[in-house]
Amino acid sequence: MLEQLLIFTRGGLILWTCKELGNALKGSPIDTLIRSCLLEERSGEVSFNYEAYTLKWTFHNDLGLVFVAVYQRILHLLYVDDLLNMVKESFSEVYDPKRMSYDDFEETFRQLRKEAEARGEELRKSKQVGKGLGSVKKQGQVAKSGLDGGSKQSNGESGGGSKKDDGDGDKGKVGSLMMMMTNGNHANDSDKTDDFVNGKENTTDNVVVDPSKLLKLRSKGVRGRGGVRKIDSIGNKSSKVTAVEPPKKATKKNRVWDDAAPKQVKLDFTDSVGENGNGNEEHVDIVAADQGESMMDKEEVFSSDGESEGDDDDDDEARSDEKPEAKKKGWFSSVFQSITGKANLERTDLEPALKALKERLMTKNVAEEIAEKLCESVEASLEGKKLASFTRISSTVQGAMEEALIRILTPRRSIDIMRDVHAAKEQRRPYVVVFVGVNGVGKSTNLAKVAYWLQQHKVSVMMAACDTFRSGAVEQLRTHARRLQIPIFEKGYEKDPAVVAKEAIQEATRNGSDVVLVDTAGRMQDNEPLMRALSKLINLNKPDLVLFVGEALVGNDAVDQLSKFNQKLSDLSNTGTTRLIDGILLTKFDTIDDKVGAALSMVYISGAPVMFVGCGQSYTDLKKLNVKAIVKTLLK
Amino acid sequence: MEKLEDLKIVAEQWWNQGIEYLQKIPPNQLYAAIGVLLFTTVLLLLSFRLVRRTKSNTVLLSGLTGSGKTVLFYQLRDGSSHQGTVTSMEPNEGTFIFHTENSKKGKIKPVHLVDVPGHSRLRPKLEEFLPQAAAIVFVVDALEFLPNCRAASEYLYDILTNANVVKKKIPVLLCCNKTDKLTAHTKEFIRKQMEKEIEKLRASRSAVSTADIANDFTIGIEGEVFSFSHCGNKVTVAEASGLNGETVQIQDFIREYIKP
Repeated sequence: MLEQLLIFTRGGLILWTCKELGNALKGSPIDTLIRSCLLEERSGEVSFNYEAYTLKWTFHNDLGLVFVAVYQRILHLLYVDDLLNMVKESFSEVYDPKRMSYDDFEETFRQLRKEAEARGEELRKSKQVGKGLGSVKKQGQVAKSGLDGGSKQSNGESGGGSKKDDGDGDKGKVGSLMMMMTNGNHANDSDKTDDFVNGKENTTDNVVVDPSKLLKLRSKGVRGRGGVRKIDSIGNKSSKVTAVEPPKKATKKNRVWDDAAPKQVKLDFTDSVGENGNGNEEHVDIVAADQGESMMDKEEVFSSDGESEGDDDDDDEARSDEKPEAKKKGWFSSVFQSITGKANLERTDLEPALKALKERLMTKNVAEEIAEKLCESVEASLEGKKLASFTRISSTVQGAMEEALIRILTPRRSIDIMRDVHAAKEQRRPYVVVFVGVNGVGKSTNLAKVAYWLQQHKVSVMMAACDTFRSGAVEQLRTHARRLQIPIFEKGYEKDPAVVAKEAIQEATRNGSDVVLVDTAGRMQDNEPLMRALSKLINLNKPDLVLFVGEALVGNDAVDQLSKFNQKLSDLSNTGTTRLIDGILLTKFDTIDDKVGAALSMVYISGAPVMFVGCGQSYTDLKKLNVKAIVKTLLK
Repeated sequence: MEKLEDLKIVAEQWWNQGIEYLQKIPPNQLYAAIGVLLFTTVLLLLSFRLVRRTKSNTVLLSGLTGSGKTVLFYQLRDGSSHQGTVTSMEPNEGTFIFHTENSKKGKIKPVHLVDVPGHSRLRPKLEEFLPQAAAIVFVVDALEFLPNCRAASEYLYDILTNANVVKKKIPVLLCCNKTDKLTAHTKEFIRKQMEKEIEKLRASRSAVSTADIANDFTIGIEGEVFSFSHCGNKVTVAEASGLNGETVQIQDFIREYIKP
């Protein structure tokens, strides 16, 4: 049964809660919904899971109201979407901005609920009559469907089925990547696609990390992890199989090309050097690198002239986009409406503008699914709103999108590293930063840049060379260390990186370094053994900051990389806190002119703020992310 | 009809007399007289416009998420927080006189109160309202103070170093909310903790001597431990309880700057 139904304003005041269902909700599901879903621009999604509850919501954008229904997750209530819409319609008739209490709505609500329940019963009965196939199988799925584990493909298959049920509520949204209970429902109810969907469900992995799952993991350590394990093992049988396999093939075998006897000697060119890297090499000119101020400390100067030009250009473009659309409605009526501004925005009105916006975002290298989700979220927030006078639809949509983008790119927590370093210093322990990422994104280069910046702020830095795989990695760091004159801790190649990191931190505590920067080897997100090794490093050393290094040139793969990294880190973590990616370092920013979309994709999918931006290959090329400039570039 | 014609004749005579008189005055004096007339009218208009720029009556309610701003807003406006609140997604604005002042007679100047959401993603909204602010109330949760101390002091630091606040010397009230609870901290404790945290922030943020892109200004006096008395604008501390409706100190503060 329904646990609770709330109506509140966007400003935060609760207008009405159902007194009949007076159950107090455990925890604070509404606040969590707002903070992790609605404010994260995920309002286009179908529902939100919080502990034992599922929440569904709808907006009345014109009056600025939000309607939220909370119910137990294990129940499958088909009528909730219907009920929410009916409540929305009837409440908007009663609503008065000056009125604060709506006790008489109780009666109306009771009737509406009965109606909705009756309708839901009818729907269910009509479905049951049409069912021939395995009811046993369905029961098995009922148990499973409460758990996550779907993928875009299976959604696509069941999307055909989903359009049939809950048709009025759901509007057949296929794009949602979270396999929610309701989608599981659809898989159940559509008998034709039953087997097919089953098969698909079992063979595919999670593509996108469910943010509610992320939240759960962050807050609930063991339990969350246990839950995730179970979900993975039940939902994805194949991944369970693969989980068993890797321990067998942990080591890479050398490829044998001919019949010649394979060389068994490991090539280990580690110099027998002391810990501080002053080996038996020739004297290299130790030029203390002082190349001036790092760009982190310089003010961003961006011309405001460009802004007005940009607006004009974009008006012209938008106008030309709109004209073919406007012809359908009748040119005069649309112009009239835009002047008087009385039209309520409908989905059909918003679609062309949103589509154009989505295309524009994708040309700026934003990942396709992210652009899609963002457009859905903006649509949800604009539907039903009254157009202000003298504004076109496209400018309203643009304004809403701009706000949404600023909201996403604004960091959720403080990214003041200096403050954290000072805090760690007070506790007399070094501040540990681990750089992770796929191959070739620029971890070592940017590590040196960060070291340079910290050094400029009079913080003593130590580097730890935990990339023990790539030839030349240790020497590279050694060269940087020599130029910056900072100590480096290395143990050569073919050593366990987790152990090297641990010893480096101990050394730093001993010699009083404030910050330890740990370089790791690049690894692909699908590579199970390497991800395991990374988790081990993070679990063993408990760093203060896990920095994901991603290049700005990456396209749709950014989504996959970040979500898989996060997932592996949470799956393979042991007791206590699950550490996920805390921050993003965006590299090679100077190589993209205005295709800055990768920043948006990465921030959206992981929720981690962009802490640094690498914009060149010398020590001073490190800066902070300028949110307004990026948003302007994205929407130009 | 005759009277009209008579009037017409008299008017014509006066008109002719006037023109004769004018023609007697040398032209230079005439032009000078006209010039002085124009000048004084322009001066009068300008002075009216200056005087008409009345002092803004906007007060901002800011603070971290969950500190109780929306509850305080509705307490000040309606005297009750109705059925409770959730995290705000948008600012709450209203121009009104306080609920407790409803009974007072006479015309009291209404206050334009703005409750800005505290969620970090919505931080840019505050900057939209700062230029028009006459006073700022920074609400702090006295109950859950220590876990949020750092975030609260960073927010307060950002406000105190904002260009608008420094230039116009906008007064700030550090309001400790939820004092009705037993384990809430005292305002003195909160004040000292915030000062300590801001001192640390000052050290870390102004570590670079030249361009400080994060903040427009630095606060406090070099070489001395930061204290709120060092700020150019006035910073005071008060207590309040949103749920119980004890908002007297806030109202006094607001009325100090927006005369009723």
